[in-house]
Amino acid sequence: MHIVVCAKQIPDPETPPAAFKIDAATNKVIPAAGIAPVLSQFDGIAAEAALRIKEAKGGKVTVISLGAESAQAAIKQVLAMGADEGVLLKDAAFDDGDSYTTAKALAAAIKKLGDVDAVFCGRQAADWDMGQVGLLVAEELGWPVAIIAKGVEATDSGLKIQRVLADGFETVEMPLPAVVTVSNEFGDPRYPKLPQIMAAAKKTVTPWAAADLGLDAGSVGKAGARLQLQKLFIPEKSSKVELIAGDTPQEQAAALVAKLVADKTL
Amino acid sequence: MAESTNRPARPQRLVGAWWGPAVGLSALGFYASATLPADTPTREIYFNIPQGIWAVYVFMSALVGLLVYGFVRHSSLWSIGKPTPGVLRDVPQRLRNAIRLGMAQDKVRRDRYAGIMHWCIFSSIIVLTLVTAQVAIDADSPLDFLHGPYYLFFSFYGDLFGLIGLIGVGMALYRRYFAQMHRIRWDERLEDHLIIVGLGLVLLSGFFVEAARIMVTELEQHPDWARWSFGAFTLAKGLDVFGFEEHQLLSFHAAAWWFHVSMAFGWLGLIVFTRLDHIFFAPINAFFLRTDSPGRLAKIENIEEQEVFGVGFIQDFTWKQLFELDACVRCGRCTEVCPANISGQPLSPMHLIQDLKAHLANVGPAIAQHRHETGDAGREVSPVALIGDVIHDETLWACRTCGACVQECPVMIEHVPTIVDMRRYLVMSEARIPATAQAALENMEMRGHPWRGTALERTTWMEGLGEVPIFDGSQDYLYWVGCSGSLVERNLPITKAVFRLVKESGASFGVLGQEETCNGDPARRLGNEYLFQILAQQLVETFKAKNVQKVITNCPHCFNTFKNEYPQFDGNFEVIHHTEFLAGAMQTGALKATHAVNANVTYHDSCYLGRINGVYDAPRQILELVPGTNLTEMQRNLSKGLCCGAGGGNMWQEEVGERRVNHVRSEEAIGTGADQVISNCPFCIQMFEDGVPAIHPEEEGRMRPFDIAELLEKSVFGETVTAGEQSS
Repeated sequence: MHIVVCAKQIPDPETPPAAFKIDAATNKVIPAAGIAPVLSQFDGIAAEAALRIKEAKGGKVTVISLGAESAQAAIKQVLAMGADEGVLLKDAAFDDGDSYTTAKALAAAIKKLGDVDAVFCGRQAADWDMGQVGLLVAEELGWPVAIIAKGVEATDSGLKIQRVLADGFETVEMPLPAVVTVSNEFGDPRYPKLPQIMAAAKKTVTPWAAADLGLDAGSVGKAGARLQLQKLFIPEKSSKVELIAGDTPQEQAAALVAKLVADKTL
Repeated sequence: MAESTNRPARPQRLVGAWWGPAVGLSALGFYASATLPADTPTREIYFNIPQGIWAVYVFMSALVGLLVYGFVRHSSLWSIGKPTPGVLRDVPQRLRNAIRLGMAQDKVRRDRYAGIMHWCIFSSIIVLTLVTAQVAIDADSPLDFLHGPYYLFFSFYGDLFGLIGLIGVGMALYRRYFAQMHRIRWDERLEDHLIIVGLGLVLLSGFFVEAARIMVTELEQHPDWARWSFGAFTLAKGLDVFGFEEHQLLSFHAAAWWFHVSMAFGWLGLIVFTRLDHIFFAPINAFFLRTDSPGRLAKIENIEEQEVFGVGFIQDFTWKQLFELDACVRCGRCTEVCPANISGQPLSPMHLIQDLKAHLANVGPAIAQHRHETGDAGREVSPVALIGDVIHDETLWACRTCGACVQECPVMIEHVPTIVDMRRYLVMSEARIPATAQAALENMEMRGHPWRGTALERTTWMEGLGEVPIFDGSQDYLYWVGCSGSLVERNLPITKAVFRLVKESGASFGVLGQEETCNGDPARRLGNEYLFQILAQQLVETFKAKNVQKVITNCPHCFNTFKNEYPQFDGNFEVIHHTEFLAGAMQTGALKATHAVNANVTYHDSCYLGRINGVYDAPRQILELVPGTNLTEMQRNLSKGLCCGAGGGNMWQEEVGERRVNHVRSEEAIGTGADQVISNCPFCIQMFEDGVPAIHPEEEGRMRPFDIAELLEKSVFGETVTAGEQSS
C-alpha cells in the first residue's frame, strides 16, 4: 500500500509567550529569533499511523509538505521516522494561500504520484487549527474521508478506522483510495532510530513547483485563496480588581453577595 | 576514582602496604640465618611425612595447571570484547593504582569492619604463602636457612599471622552468619561458605599439625624453641593434658598434615572457580582503571560510520568491561550506596554486573566459536537479548550516573559507563525510551534545551538586574547560566545571585543570553551520543568564535561536561563552578560576607561537583565564612554523599519503585534539624523543593532549599535581589 502523509511545518507552539510577536502591518507572525519552526504534532502522529500500516502490510510511505525551504526539516523528520520518500511543494506562487489552495496543490501532487492508495493528514495544523486541508484534499481527489481517527488499521478490502466523536467512538470501514485525518488519541509518534536519521539525512527531497503540478499560478496561493485574512492580533488580556469593603469576614461576605446580586452574577 | 583534589592531604596510612617492609625484613633475616651453623634451633622439614615432598609437588603442579586453565578459559571470554582505547596510556599512574587500590586496598578500607577483616585474611594468606615458600626453598634448594634465631622468628610470625588469619575468618563468619542480613548475603552462593569455612579449616589444621609435631619433638626436648610458635605451643600444652602416646600423636600428625595440605591446595584451587579469583583480578583491574576523569563518558568516534550504536550485545563491550565483570566479588557495596536501590527502584549495580557476567559465561563460548568459524560479529548467536532479557530497560533508566557504585567498588569496576553504553543502544539503535525522557531529548533537538513547555526565555532572569554585560571576547570570564538556570522559575534567583556576586567581586565577565544552547549533558547521559556530539560541536565552535577562555557555571552538570568532556571535541577551556569562584573571591577579599544570616544549615554535595569532580571544600569554606551560619553535616556526605535523584537524565523521568530518591535524601536533610538545605546544583534544588514538602507537609517549620549563592547573596548584600523586588 502506498500512503501519502501530508506534513506541515509550523512556528513552534512552545514559543515563550513573550517571544511571540505579530507584525500588524502585514498581518503576519514575526518568526521568533532563535526558535526554529517544528513539524505540526498531529502530522507526526499521522506519519506514525502510516508507518504502522507499512510495517504490518508492507508498502511505501511518501511525505509531502507545502512550504518554504525550511520545511525540508519537517520532511526529514518524517523520513527519519521511516518514510521512504519526500516531496516539497515549494513555489512563491503558493505563498499566502488558504486551506483550499493548499489542498488543491497537495491533491495535484498526490495525483502526480499516481499510485497512491491512501492519504493521512493530521487532524489539524497546530498553528491555525482550522482542520480543513484533509477534507479538502479528499474533495479534490474525489475520495472518501474519515476524520479525527484514533485507530487506523488496514484490512483486506480497505481501512478500518476508529473515530473520536464528542460522546464516544465509532468504527467505520472504508474502501481505498481514501483520506484519513489522525488525532492525538492515536498515540505518540516514534523516536527515530539513529541509522534511520542518518539515512534520512542522505535522502533527497523532490521539489515540485506549481508548474510541475500543472497548476496555474493564478489558481493557487494568495491569488486562488477564498479566505481573506482581515486582521491578525494578540488578544489583550486585562483584569480589574475591586476590593470588597467590610470590617469583618461576615460583612465582607455580605457585601460580596450584594455585589454579585447587583451584577446579576447570582 | 580520584578522591578530592582540593582537600588537605591526610597522612597516608601505610597499613595497606605494611607487608613491603615485612618482606624486606624477612629477606634480611633469611640472609643472616643462611650464614649460621646448623646446630641451632630448627625443625625437620617433612617430619613424619616421608611422601610429603612428592605430594606437595603433585598438588602444586595440579594447582598451576588449574590456574592456567582458569586463565585461558576466562581470557577466551574477555577476548570477544572490542578493543579498549587508551588502556596502556599513563602506565606510571596505572601502576600506582595497582599498588594503592589493588595491593594496599584503599577502597576496601572505606568500610572499617570489612577493611580490618580483609586485611587480616589478606595478610595472613600473603605471609603464610611466604612461610610455605621458605620451607620449600629450605627443603629443595641448596640454601639452608631455617635455623637459629631466624627460625625462631620465622616460627613466631608464622603463628602470628595464622592467628591474624583466624581473627579475620572469625570476623567474616560473624558477619555472614550472625550479624543482621548483611549486603554480602544479597547474592549468596555455595562458594561463599566453602571459601570462608575452608580457609578457617586450613588455618586451624595448620595449628594442629604444628602442635602435634611440637608435642613429639619439642615440648620436652626444646621447650624454649617451642614457645616461639606460641599458637601451636599453647595448643600443644592443652593437648598434652590428655597424655597421648607418641604413636598416636604421630598418626594424628600425619592425618592432620594430609588434611591441611590437601585443604590448602584445594582452597587455592577455588581461585579458578569462585570469586576468589579477585586475588588476581582486583589488582589487574586497578591497573586497567581509567586514569582520566570519572565524569567523562567515552566518545563514539566516527559515529556516523558505526554499524551498531552503543552496546546491545555482550561482545560490543570492550574487553576491559568484560574483564571487570570477573573481578566482581558480590560484596554489595555498590548496591548498598546506589540511590535507586536505596529507594526501592529496580537497579542493583551488583546484580547488573553479575547478570552480565552470567550472560557472558552462557553465550561467550558460542560467540567465540562463531567468530572463529565465520569471522563475523556473531550478534545473532545469543538466544536471549542482552537488553530486555538479561538486563531490563527500567534497570538501565533507574541509574543516576551519580558514581557512588564506582566510588565504593573495592575491585574498581566502572558501572556507569557500562550502563550508559547500554542506554546508547536503547536510544540510538532501538529508540526505546521512557516517554518523558524522549520528550526531553526531542526538546533538546528541536529547541536546544530540555525544558519542555517552559514559558521563560533565556534572558528572563536579567530583569531587575540593570545592565547585564554580553560576552564579546574582551572579558575574562564567560558566566554560563545554563538551561536550568534560565528556563526554570525556581532557579532564576540563583542565577541572579551568582550574577550579582560575580559582578560585586569586580571580575570582568559577560553572558551569552539568547545564544546559549544546551551543552548536551542530558543527551549524553540519556544515551543519545549522536545528539550530544552535535550539540557539543556547535557549542565548542561558538566558544571558540567568541574567544572564550574561562567559564563560570552555576550547574555542576554543565561544569562537568565543559571541563571533562569538551576536550574530546577539542574544546579546552578553564572551567570553574560558582562555588569555587565565590570561595576564591572571598579569600582574596573581593567579596565580603558581612551580614549575619543566622541559619542552621546542612550541606548537600551534588554528585557532579562532589564525588565526580572532587570539589568538597570550596562550598564549605563559603559556609564557614558566612557569619551566623551553623553547619550540620548529613551522615552521607562528601564522597559518600547520596544523589538527589535527578542525575543521569532522571530529572526528566518518572520514577518507578517504592520511593523517590529525593524523598529519601530530603528525609536525611531534614533529619539534621537544619532549617535550610544548601546545595550547588539547580537539579538538586528542584529535587529538594519537591522532596521536602513531601516529607514535611506542614508549612510551618519546614526546611527550605537554597543554593549556596543565594545564602551568600544575603550575607554580602543584606538581602536578595528577588526579596528586594517583592518588597518594592
